[in-house]
Amino acid sequence: MYKLFLTFRYLISKWVAVFSILSVWLCVAMVLIVFSVMDGFLDNIKQHSRGLLGDIIIDNSTLQGFPYYEEFSAYLKEKMPEEIDVVTPVIYSYGILREPVSSFTKPVRIVAIDFDSYCAVNNFRESLYYDRYYPDTTSLGLVQQPVAGIDMKGNSILPERLEAAHREYLKNRDEDKVDHTDIAEPDYRSPHGVGGFEQHFGLPGYEGNPLPGIIIGTDVVFSRDRNGVYNRNILDRGAEIVLTILPLTSRGTIAENPIPVAMRNIDDSRTKVYEIDKICVYVDFKLFQEYLSMGPLERVDGSFTEPRASQLLVSLKDGKDYNKALPKIEEVWNEFLGTLAGNVTRYEADLLSGVGVDTWETRQQAFIQAVEKEKVLVTILFGIISVVAIVLIGVVFYMIVLQKTRDIGIIKSLGATSVGVAMIFIMYGAIIGVIGGILGILTGTTVVANINEIQSWLAAFNPSLQVWSPEVYTFDRIPSVVKPSVIAAVFLMAVLTSTLGALVPAMKAAWVWPVKTLRYE
Amino acid sequence: MVLARATKLHKTYSLGKTKVNVLRGVNLDVQQGEMLAITGASGCGKSTLLHILGALDKPDQGTVSLGGEDLFAASTWRRDAIRNKDVGFVFQFYHLLPEFNVLENVLMPRLVGTSMTKWFASSRSARAKAAEILDTVGLKDRLKHRPKELSGGERQRVAIARAIMNEPRFLLADEPTGNLDAKMGKGIMECLRGLNRNGQTIVLVTHDPNIANQADRQVRLVDGRIEA
Repeated sequence: MYKLFLTFRYLISKWVAVFSILSVWLCVAMVLIVFSVMDGFLDNIKQHSRGLLGDIIIDNSTLQGFPYYEEFSAYLKEKMPEEIDVVTPVIYSYGILREPVSSFTKPVRIVAIDFDSYCAVNNFRESLYYDRYYPDTTSLGLVQQPVAGIDMKGNSILPERLEAAHREYLKNRDEDKVDHTDIAEPDYRSPHGVGGFEQHFGLPGYEGNPLPGIIIGTDVVFSRDRNGVYNRNILDRGAEIVLTILPLTSRGTIAENPIPVAMRNIDDSRTKVYEIDKICVYVDFKLFQEYLSMGPLERVDGSFTEPRASQLLVSLKDGKDYNKALPKIEEVWNEFLGTLAGNVTRYEADLLSGVGVDTWETRQQAFIQAVEKEKVLVTILFGIISVVAIVLIGVVFYMIVLQKTRDIGIIKSLGATSVGVAMIFIMYGAIIGVIGGILGILTGTTVVANINEIQSWLAAFNPSLQVWSPEVYTFDRIPSVVKPSVIAAVFLMAVLTSTLGALVPAMKAAWVWPVKTLRYE
Repeated sequence: MVLARATKLHKTYSLGKTKVNVLRGVNLDVQQGEMLAITGASGCGKSTLLHILGALDKPDQGTVSLGGEDLFAASTWRRDAIRNKDVGFVFQFYHLLPEFNVLENVLMPRLVGTSMTKWFASSRSARAKAAEILDTVGLKDRLKHRPKELSGGERQRVAIARAIMNEPRFLLADEPTGNLDAKMGKGIMECLRGLNRNGQTIVLVTHDPNIANQADRQVRLVDGRIEA
């Protein structure tokens, strides 16, 4: 009983306890904030980097791609009907994007996709801007430019299809999905970027030649202001742009002269991975397979070459583990190669031999690992700071023990055991850990929950304090995830380290023969 | 009847490189109910002997038995229990706990010897008893005072009250009046004599002959031995 009694009395009567609690408190809050932001960053990276890949990726990492991808898709679905959900082919190439009015040019990575199946394999559709506010109006087929008109009341109106889509959006609007980087939510009376109604007083409609649609990575063309909002005024929806491409043969040689393809900007995609959004443009698979000389080409003998794709993206059915599916798919691929044996040309065989099967995680590992390593580095740094806190607590306890040496002798002369005396100081440490831990977790979670507001407040106070600039980072807000497991681990560590800090002085206190401390005043 | 017996006690201290033989084969019997004064010159080992008798210190050689039980052959736990239940100490410098008030200081031996569950069952009676003891030593109005708010004499009375809280068989007092003026010292001695009259066995260490003369019996420690 005396242990609790003494522990609590020492706690409330010693100022030094307040300093110990303060140091644990701040340490816990600091570690929690850093962990939560790093975890949030990592989760965001993981989530978004997976977004544009499937569960499984099959490719040979060349610009020529590989043949027989259609046959393999069918073969794979037939062999693994329980696991495979969707398989979609993708072609990667490079080109130059040119906007005819301002004549800006940019090198871009061309991603030729089959829009519907690509959207079924990953979250690409969620990254689209116009598709969010005018659902299902984005496609990569031939399109004209939509232009707004004025109705009888003087309000601007869009073509009926877009109006209907927008009504649909308003009906199903989910406040949580509103993207803060968009210019205030577009309503159809101010259809930013959708045509220019001042030139078309009257009925809304479509104008210009039908051209293939292109979806541009948001950061390829648009830039953000200080508030992180994209300025899309420089390129309207449906505006004409030219993509110049360089087709390759299966041998890797340039097939013909660069081809300029006139297209219309139908949408822009923001996957929130800057490395993707700053360079990728998305075009129709079939069309570009042909343009890039990856479709069937007639040989001199009248036969046709096999169409090629750069990559197959596979999505698995719900609940299937991609790590377990991987070896099976590899096996099916090898089986498939066996069925082709002897029926392929030398060049095709070369391209096929380089094909590998990976999970999205392995593919993005270099990128994810970099962030993970940063997390480890930060953990080590803060671990060192925490060690300082432990030492501080150790020193504080040592001081308390020194101050209380005589009291320890008195208590022992009254019959207290060595273990009992040690327990006083160990409990003292543990209680400091518990109080500091709880306060630290409350502070940490509060700060993390309001980290963006705190930053805005600081930035309003002094703009140089804005550490997370949406102009720089692809995420608009400071990402953060408070994981219960992290809270539990940090709390346990706080209690454990405080107890540990108290342990050595507690042992010293306990092992004293009472007379040594009582002999002199 | 012998309550405590010390046999051939030896104790050596190191003072730098030199060794001081404080006790050199001390033999001492303490009778049940007596008040024994140990006298001797300053530094002759009186306090050391008292501490060893109360198991606050251990001898290099020799044995101490209390009620027939060898203190230093017993386990540490047992020795702690004996110190709690059977021995009460009064120190020259009072040695009260400054963070606790008078009542809490007196309750401390009971707190040390009681588990949490037992304490909740018995705390009311323990408090009543502590208050009663403090009343008998003339401090019933000082229960809530901190030690620093008391005079030297009052502090020593608190120390005596604490020492007898668990009704020990053996009360050891180390220069109980050494830090007090004559008047206060007299009061403390009256207090101890009153306890002794009620059957409390007391061993007190003093270098003051006037104090020693108030004891039933005196022994003198000379050169680490009891003078015959």
